[in-house]
Amino acid sequence: MNAESPILRTVAGYAIPFTLLVALRIFFQGHDEPGGGFIAGVLVASAGAIHLLSYGVERAARIRWWRVAVIGLLVSVCNGIWPMLLGHPYMDNEILHWPVHLPTATFFDLGVMLIVVGTLMTIFVELSLERR
Amino acid sequence: MPPPPTIEVNALPLALALPFAAAAIAAGFGRRLGRATGWIVFAAAAASTAILAGLPGHGEVAGFRVPWLPAIGVDFALRADPFGRFFALLVSGVGIFIVLYAIAYMAGEDARRMPRFWAALAAFMGAMIGIALSDDLLLLFLFWEITSLSSFLLIGHHDDDPKACAGALLALQVTGLGGLVLALGILLVAQITGTFSMSGIASSPAQVAALLSSPLAPAALACILVGVFTKSAQFPFHFWLPRAMVAPTPVSAYLHAATMVKAGVFLLGRMLPLFGGLPMWTPTLVIVGSITMLLGAWKAFHETDLKAILARTTGSTLGFLTLLYGLGAAEQDALQMLNHALYKGALFLVAGIVDHRVHTRDLRKLGGLRGELPLPFLAATLAALSMAGVPPMLGFLAKESFYAGILHNELLAGQPLLRWAILLACLAANALVAAVAAKFVIGTFLGERKGTPVGGHDGAGSHATAAHHADDHGGGHGGGGAHVESPPLWISPLALAAPALALGLLGATSFTGHLATAIASRPEHDFHLSLLPGIGLPLGLSLAGFLLAFVLWSMRTRIAALPAAHAAHHSLDRLWERGIANLAVLGEALSSRWQNGSLRRYFITTLLAVPVLSWLALARVGLSYRDIAVSLTNLPWFGLFLCVLLGIATVTAVSATNRLQAAIATTTIGFIVSMLFVVYRSPDILLTQILIETVSTIFVLLVLLFMPAFPQRDMDRSSQLVAMGVATVFSLAITVLLLLSMTPGLREEANIAVRPGGLLSLALEKGGGANAVNVIIVDIRSLDTNGEITVLVGVGLCIYGLLRARRARSTAA
Repeated sequence: MNAESPILRTVAGYAIPFTLLVALRIFFQGHDEPGGGFIAGVLVASAGAIHLLSYGVERAARIRWWRVAVIGLLVSVCNGIWPMLLGHPYMDNEILHWPVHLPTATFFDLGVMLIVVGTLMTIFVELSLERR
Repeated sequence: MPPPPTIEVNALPLALALPFAAAAIAAGFGRRLGRATGWIVFAAAAASTAILAGLPGHGEVAGFRVPWLPAIGVDFALRADPFGRFFALLVSGVGIFIVLYAIAYMAGEDARRMPRFWAALAAFMGAMIGIALSDDLLLLFLFWEITSLSSFLLIGHHDDDPKACAGALLALQVTGLGGLVLALGILLVAQITGTFSMSGIASSPAQVAALLSSPLAPAALACILVGVFTKSAQFPFHFWLPRAMVAPTPVSAYLHAATMVKAGVFLLGRMLPLFGGLPMWTPTLVIVGSITMLLGAWKAFHETDLKAILARTTGSTLGFLTLLYGLGAAEQDALQMLNHALYKGALFLVAGIVDHRVHTRDLRKLGGLRGELPLPFLAATLAALSMAGVPPMLGFLAKESFYAGILHNELLAGQPLLRWAILLACLAANALVAAVAAKFVIGTFLGERKGTPVGGHDGAGSHATAAHHADDHGGGHGGGGAHVESPPLWISPLALAAPALALGLLGATSFTGHLATAIASRPEHDFHLSLLPGIGLPLGLSLAGFLLAFVLWSMRTRIAALPAAHAAHHSLDRLWERGIANLAVLGEALSSRWQNGSLRRYFITTLLAVPVLSWLALARVGLSYRDIAVSLTNLPWFGLFLCVLLGIATVTAVSATNRLQAAIATTTIGFIVSMLFVVYRSPDILLTQILIETVSTIFVLLVLLFMPAFPQRDMDRSSQLVAMGVATVFSLAITVLLLLSMTPGLREEANIAVRPGGLLSLALEKGGGANAVNVIIVDIRSLDTNGEITVLVGVGLCIYGLLRARRARSTAA
């Protein structure tokens, strides 16, 4: 794919921030309305894909995406282990009401999002590197 | 007799935690600590011994119990009853001297391997103490497996020597397989009795009766016995023990004489109160024990390698212990174990000293070392006298009490023929062992000094002779100065042999008898032990044994020439190895057919599994396609229109002639399906579907260039038909399932979300979210999601690794 296309770059300049904003919104609305970590992760990854296609793979490859996935897994598992330290079962989520209404499952969802982003971007970047 | 009261002792777990802590230190910091590592293990052994020795006794039993897996009734339960405490003390006490010896013996070893050696040795010690003290069967199994693993590391210490690796692998295979079968037996016992607690079963006559009357009891016992026989090297699993002699000598002394192989017979002692009443108990153990006892003694008589001799006689003694338990003679089990551990440990350590000195263990090349090694000579003499059962050694007491035990055994009452057969078998084995003991000491220390170079730690000459037994080249690397800070080697064998004499002499008083009774697994108060036996059959049998031993000894060259001496040498381990090799071939053949790497076959299997499994599931609840009652009357026209478009796109996808066409067509199918979700007002899935379609289109574009030519063109007619058939069956099954789930009546029943107390209300209440799907994913069923995301990360890492490795290869080439 031609990474030098000015049209693609111009569109990407608007599309990427917009997609990321939508992803943020979808992530947080996920608890009550359609959305959630998985979809938000796919959205972020598609923003990454647009970046990759318009600015070339070298810049995207600067991040070790697989580490993002591993960090996500750590976040999810730690969210599960945390209640165990308080004597509750693994993954025993509760709902925090202060300062905002926040179920602790949100952190689990955050881990899911990071994993989806990390894994998808790993595959994108590696496949693009393969093409060169 | 009611069981003695158990008192909680919080120091009890410390006795086994300390060696494990030492193992962790050795593994983590062994490189930095260097020679001090051995002393840390030594301190752990000494501290464990002190804790065990300081436990309360006399009418009370120290225990420790915390729930471990309460859901299935598994406790971290320790119980130091006299027998278990004796065994734990044997492990830690002998361990002290073994570690002391090993510090000196291994001084010349390659320092890189030493952290692993100390860690494995310490972990082994902790696990053996764990076996001795476990009251919970699963806990015991856990420690049992740790001993197998750590002994694998210890036997294979010289990991550059193929013989050591093969010996370690064989030991691991046999004991590991036995361990698995043992686990099966343990689970069966727990299934029958409903508890994993050994003392809980043994102290309740009702439980024991329930266990014995269960039809599963013989199977459970058979499984446990396989575990015991493999661990204790009983016939027909005896072959791994001589092969394990490639281990460094302190390991052989500790694992293969004093402790690990006794774990099997120790478990027999634990099982006797449970299974002793089963009809198969006595015949099985008596037969297997007798065969092992005679075979081991006979083979030992022909060996010429010092360690092989000791290994064979160890097998013989273990067979004898099995026989003892078969006859239910548990009143003297601890005495026999103690006796064997003392003399056999000492003899092994002496063999190591001899090896260090002259770099050979071959009796044909040894002789006349009494002048050079006076203290080891003394230790070996004491130990060999005990082994032969000569008064006033402990071995004599043990043998006398054992003959007496068989003569008065109640199980053999009314069967004089059997009693005499067993007595004669024991007599023969004892005579052979006594002759072997004489051979060991006389062959090594007396007679002429043979022409081997006087060792010490000099150079090339000793290496040349050591080369033919590359199995234990501990001494080969020794530098003269390496022993400066090491304790002398002769301390430990003397320290082990001296109690054999002391306890024997104390047999003149009542002390030894009281001790043996106090530590036995089933004490009997009229158990009698005395150094000054009355004139009776036991004494006569002993004398007959000595006479026979003398005859055997004087005829040794003529016996060695017998053809029977060489027959069937090593045949069972060859058979085992061939079996393992065949297993590998079978596994390879199976997996290359099953996992053949053809994506098409994987797809066919998966796609066919769905209809078959769903048909089975439907048949079980009594549903079939005839129950479908979906009315198609109020279909919206745009829905129908989308379906028509879907059909066109599908036909295009199937008839595509290149990959790009197929990719575009399938993407179109995906987007049309997401439009259907609009029709049915399912925004959640709609969002997901659109995004997934987008992302997979990017994927397809990225990989399109690397794909080989379109395979559909290369498929022959029959493969195409198969593919079509599979696709049709799969889609029909999915259609039936979907329509069934929409059928009125079934639909409400299947909908676990909206019914009262269903997932929808649960999500709001417990998860604090109105989006039930998401709350299910991240909260209610978060364990499932946890598994899925782990798989996802794994897939990402695999792709990363595979592609990187491929690129690295192609740039290198």
